Amino acid sequence: MKKPVVIKGKVWVLRDEKGRAIDDIDTDQIYHNAHLAITELEKMGQFALGNLPGWEDFPQKARPGDILVVGKNFGAGSSRQQAVDCFRSLRISLIIGESFGAIYQRNAINSGFPLMVCSGIISHPGKVDSRNVLEVNLSTGEVFNHTTGKKIEGGVRFSQVQMDIYQAGNLFEYGKTILP
Amino acid sequence: MGFTFAEKVLAKKSGKDKVAAGEIVTVTPDRILSHDNTAAISRIFQQLGRNKVVHPDKIVIVLDHCVPAANEKHALNHKVIREFVTEQGIKGFYDVGTGICHQVLPEKGYAFPGSLILGSDSHTTTYGAFGAFATGIGRSEAAVLWATNQLWLRIPETYRIEVEGIFPPWVSAKDLILHIIGELGADGALYKAVEFRGPTIENMSIAGRMVLCNMAVEMGAKIGYVLPDKKTSQWLGPRVKNNYEVITSDSDAAYERVIRYNVNHMPPQVACPHQVDNVKAIDKVSGTQIHQALLGTCTNGRMEDLEVAASILKGKRIASGVRLLVFPASWEVYREAWNKGILLQLAEAGAIIMNPGCGPCLGAHEGVLAPGEVCLSTANRNFRGRMGCRDAFIYLASPATVAASALKGHITDVRSL
Repeated sequence: MKKPVVIKGKVWVLRDEKGRAIDDIDTDQIYHNAHLAITELEKMGQFALGNLPGWEDFPQKARPGDILVVGKNFGAGSSRQQAVDCFRSLRISLIIGESFGAIYQRNAINSGFPLMVCSGIISHPGKVDSRNVLEVNLSTGEVFNHTTGKKIEGGVRFSQVQMDIYQAGNLFEYGKTILP
Repeated sequence: MGFTFAEKVLAKKSGKDKVAAGEIVTVTPDRILSHDNTAAISRIFQQLGRNKVVHPDKIVIVLDHCVPAANEKHALNHKVIREFVTEQGIKGFYDVGTGICHQVLPEKGYAFPGSLILGSDSHTTTYGAFGAFATGIGRSEAAVLWATNQLWLRIPETYRIEVEGIFPPWVSAKDLILHIIGELGADGALYKAVEFRGPTIENMSIAGRMVLCNMAVEMGAKIGYVLPDKKTSQWLGPRVKNNYEVITSDSDAAYERVIRYNVNHMPPQVACPHQVDNVKAIDKVSGTQIHQALLGTCTNGRMEDLEVAASILKGKRIASGVRLLVFPASWEVYREAWNKGILLQLAEAGAIIMNPGCGPCLGAHEGVLAPGEVCLSTANRNFRGRMGCRDAFIYLASPATVAASALKGHITDVRSL
């Protein structure tokens, strides 16, 4: 089954109480080390962002299909994959942000979870705010804010390997398509 | 135009004549590392529908994150791993007590110049100190590597960090890397290969080079790298059994940035809560009361680290109200420190000598913190909640600063003793 290349959903923008983008959110804030022993995907969602001040109630607020908008270096730190899986568990449809921790980005890509770099997306309030509706084209990098009626520049379209893994489902399924 | 180390080594590992930064290639690694997370990786592997790993000889597994097991869940994970390595015929298995993976791999000869090491741990970058291309991956990637021996990688651009000058007394590699991370930021080298070059690095011990590469990931780097030299080959000589090819950047390689530092007048540095790039010179934080001091981890649990701490604490007694925990990075370090009397000196000063392993660094056990407590640690991360408690405060510093501060009961400039 072909997966959607256009994703549309309500967004949550990770800003602090003063409206500033929260940069460098590390994997301990996304998924605290106290819950590392959990192996079932369904159980991980309840802990997503549980250690990020002001966002502890995210699992209660988020709905399947929602989009998460993040700042710079989201997912810095440890290689723990639960920091990606907790959002898959909540059926978040996409994470779009200024930049990502290198291992975090790989973990998302290799799980077939859509993640897009879009520089400047969070730079000032009004461009995109929580509860706006965003439409993102993974193959062209086009980002459109339906609430403001404005296009957002800076989206980086999926690389070939990212799109191939996304369409195959995950890294292993993708591997089957390229290995002898 | 020449090529960088990253471009040259990844061309070789992907079977191509040449590749350039930004390209995506499929590589075959020399080593695949995992630790206590091997239990989870083996579950993913079984879900892939595979029975046998394709190259058991490439897999290295070190139990270090929660050793000895703190509870039944961890004990069961360790048991699952022991059964898995027996069943798969994996010889590169190091059980509880051998040490932290990032110390054990070099000691056992798995890390060498020109090698490609992919590890399911973010501090895999440590082996860049030996001229390897070594980087962290996720669990699913490790499972797929066991099954297929192949993985895609994007060739990183390269930053060259040139360091000159002579460290003032008591100032070391840890202070340098904290200073660099403080200046460049937690995303300052995101996805970049970072080469540490210059006379200061040439004069630096292998242990010091490991500190730099270990913490390169804290500014987002894909790898750290130090040019292998005579010191490297002497250190590796008795340990590495196979031949290896030293790979270095061409003299006309295209660096994205060249950044210069001089350490001549560098004061001790401290990373303050709750981010590694929140770095201040010692005089800005000295006097901060501490409850726990941690000497060890994959960053600073080596002989020279224990020795410098012992030289400060020998014949003295740490402040009351401070718990000083010492974790030698490996059994090899433990034995040497035992034989030289270093552990006795530390113990007599009031330190608790713990077993080789990660200890409380990642909040699993052996010294987690209570709300409101302050820990000064030689580790590499001070994220909120990292040591188990989200209402505790972690500061990072060099072994010398940690020892001096344990003595006084508050963050202390070692030069003032």
